[in-house]
Amino acid sequence: MTSPVLTLKDLSIEFPTPGGVVEAVKALDLTIEAGRRVGFIGESGSGKTTTALAVMQMLAEPGRVAGGSIDLGGTDILALNDEQMRRTRLSRVAYIPQGAMNSLNPVMRIEPQLWDAIIAHEGRLDRAELKRRSDAALESVGLPVHTAQLYPHELSGGMKQRVCIALGIILTPELIIADEPTSALDVVTQRQVMQTLKDIQEQIGSGLILIGHDMGLMAQSVDELAVLKDGELVEHGTVKQILEAPKHPYTQDLISSVPLVGGESFLNPDRRAEAPKRESSEPLLRFEGVSKTYGAVTALHPISFALQGDTPQIISIVGQSGSGKSTMGSIMLGFTPPTTGRVLFEGQDLAKIGASQNLEFRRNVQAVFQDPYSCFNPFYRVNHALSYPYKRFGLSQGKAQTQAAMEEACAAVGLDPDLVLPRYPHQLSGGQRQRLIVARALMLSPKLLIADEPVSMVDASLRATILSNIYDLKDKHGISVLYITHDLATAYHVSDYVMVLYKGHVVEAGPPKAVIGDPQHPYTQLLIASIPWPDLQRGWGSGLEDGAEDNIASAAPAFRGDVAGFELAKA
Amino acid sequence: MSNFSTDDNVAEATQPMTRAEKRQARRMRRFDNPWLNPKLLWGAGLLLGIVLLGILGRILWNLDLVFTGSATLKLPPVGFENLRRQPGVWDHPLGTDGSGRDMLALIVIGAPNSLFVGLLASLIGMTTGIVLGFTAGFVGGRTDDVIRVLSDVMITIPPLLILVVFQSAFGDVSLTMMALLIAGFVWQSPTRLIRAQVLSMKQSGYVQMARLSGAPTSHIMFREMLPNLIPYLFGSFIANVTTSIVTAVGLEVLGLGPQRIPTLGRTIYEAINAGALIQNLWWWWGIPTLLLAVMFIGLLLINLGLDEVSNPRLRRLS
Repeated sequence: MTSPVLTLKDLSIEFPTPGGVVEAVKALDLTIEAGRRVGFIGESGSGKTTTALAVMQMLAEPGRVAGGSIDLGGTDILALNDEQMRRTRLSRVAYIPQGAMNSLNPVMRIEPQLWDAIIAHEGRLDRAELKRRSDAALESVGLPVHTAQLYPHELSGGMKQRVCIALGIILTPELIIADEPTSALDVVTQRQVMQTLKDIQEQIGSGLILIGHDMGLMAQSVDELAVLKDGELVEHGTVKQILEAPKHPYTQDLISSVPLVGGESFLNPDRRAEAPKRESSEPLLRFEGVSKTYGAVTALHPISFALQGDTPQIISIVGQSGSGKSTMGSIMLGFTPPTTGRVLFEGQDLAKIGASQNLEFRRNVQAVFQDPYSCFNPFYRVNHALSYPYKRFGLSQGKAQTQAAMEEACAAVGLDPDLVLPRYPHQLSGGQRQRLIVARALMLSPKLLIADEPVSMVDASLRATILSNIYDLKDKHGISVLYITHDLATAYHVSDYVMVLYKGHVVEAGPPKAVIGDPQHPYTQLLIASIPWPDLQRGWGSGLEDGAEDNIASAAPAFRGDVAGFELAKA
Repeated sequence: MSNFSTDDNVAEATQPMTRAEKRQARRMRRFDNPWLNPKLLWGAGLLLGIVLLGILGRILWNLDLVFTGSATLKLPPVGFENLRRQPGVWDHPLGTDGSGRDMLALIVIGAPNSLFVGLLASLIGMTTGIVLGFTAGFVGGRTDDVIRVLSDVMITIPPLLILVVFQSAFGDVSLTMMALLIAGFVWQSPTRLIRAQVLSMKQSGYVQMARLSGAPTSHIMFREMLPNLIPYLFGSFIANVTTSIVTAVGLEVLGLGPQRIPTLGRTIYEAINAGALIQNLWWWWGIPTLLLAVMFIGLLLINLGLDEVSNPRLRRLS
């Protein structure tokens, strides 16, 4: 055993607020050995980030360490003054932030930002020496040397995150703290970035704290796990111990809440509701050669399909960011006009819809968006978002009835209406807000719901609940759903039909058991290989295989059988 | 337990709070209701004082004293002597000016007038700004280009120059006319501010949600967006009142503006013109200046207070 790089003894952190002192972290004891990777896992608000920030002495005002000690490789962090702490940051303990997108200075090239880090700790060095070290740092994270001359906006999200890692390791610190470094990235990039981080950490032999809420990612990335709940360390042990024999019920919940491809379903389909009777025999939604280009960029290549809608179905559209899936959702909602082709809703062209029919169309096609935080007007109590459309669509029969309908919808998604409805949006968690949006859709009972990444910004432990709420819309209320996602595991469970999009093309389509259970197109295979499994036996690969791109581009699309009620034109 | 205050509960739960922490906690409690902000209250109090001066003065004081020659010339305020060794008298507690007008009557009429011009000009400017800003942000395209270029060009033109030309051409103008003229120069910054906010809000989730709810454009503009702009609008409004008063007083001190209606600026103009500075008639120009200072400090405090109300982070730092 090597000597510990970080020892937390009896650490407590509190925030004095007008309502009294909030204890964010309670009596935390933890030791991190050199060269070990430790995962901090827990929901938002569990104190993971607060602990990490305390190690950096970067707690947000008015937070403070109330008791205990932080020992970094023999130095008592709490005894350091500001200047000593400044010298310690980055050179001995580095922090890789969550939003790498916003952590780089947008008006500086990458190279001077790396140099700044060295100069701030070692004083002015020779230009050639600086260049040698910054190039070495970039190479060590797998970036080409010419990246140094680029501005942050010229890099992709994954590349920016790697630059942040390069910044973190440039002074070979004893401890690296990575705060959800991949939460804003899609699965394929996530795997590459995590691999980079693991490699570099092994190379310089430092300790690593990985903060996150995804059990699968943790299982594939760390040696030890610390499970936090409400500021308390509820369980700590090696990944193997925790995954195979979780002791605390909360840990068991965390593990079982991860949806798996081929695993047990988290849904409980109890009855199949009939779709509401429709007058027209036209398909509910029909795309006729729809495409979308933005200038020279083609977001969506011509695609044609028809969703009959006589039996409620969930159609999943899967792909990475930039695959055109959100553009497709926006076209369906009539927010973005297609460049070519027509979108028909019950035989009616969306482009030629009149004002009176528009209201009817809006009533029938509703959406759940990705970001539950922005979906509520901060000026109003949340019930405004539910009652306004209800009245607007003429469904309301008086105040009492509206209230009753809202309460019923809340109860149906598992929220306590008395607790939730009279609140302001900032008083609710992301999960509660997203469920309210689902409740809103339920209240309006549209014929079609477009769910655009409904769970990607919600805590992992709540994802299953929200998805089963959405599944119930189909199962109990007969609403057809278009589920847009990058997460194959959830698509596998909820959907009746899956389309995989790659750069605006459908590359594989068919029933989920075929497409996701036994992928044939190399892109689908790559997506599935990139999912981190909470299972140590299942390797994660490096994600850096060469030639994968060429393979994907040249492979022919694979169509894997049909489902009644949904026809995709095979082009 | 129930008869303990929150403070005691907190202290019991952890170690006793230090004095600095107690002060901080007290400050936070005081700001639980953000509108009870001391800066805001003081600012509003000062402005209210000016308004009260106008109302009570009209009731309690003889306003006929504002006419030329209604009293002895150049009398000092009570308790002072002028160069001719005349003491101040209680008939004219703030003294008289060079043509025998009572200073108290002058400010009773003049001070609210200056505030009125500022408020009216700012109100008109804001309304124009809201309409144009929303139109530009919402309609976009050509309309947006026209409005944007127009406001950008107008922002570069020095208002005093144009106003001097206008006023000399018009000769005598009424207060309302003057407010209208000034309003022509205070609509640009609210227009730009609101346009920028509308553009960013148009992309926000709740506006998309409202569109999904089949909301008409007017609902999106005035029920979804406008309420969230209120802090900006308030701040911008107060800043505009200050600008408008400064512009109005500037014109009046130059001898432009209304000729027959007493205003603070005109009083200062007459004082300068009659050589009040050389003759040591300090009350003639000093009292109107003091009132203007009170007005500006009041407006500044309101603006700072509103900033803290709408931005909780500033509140905690104070």
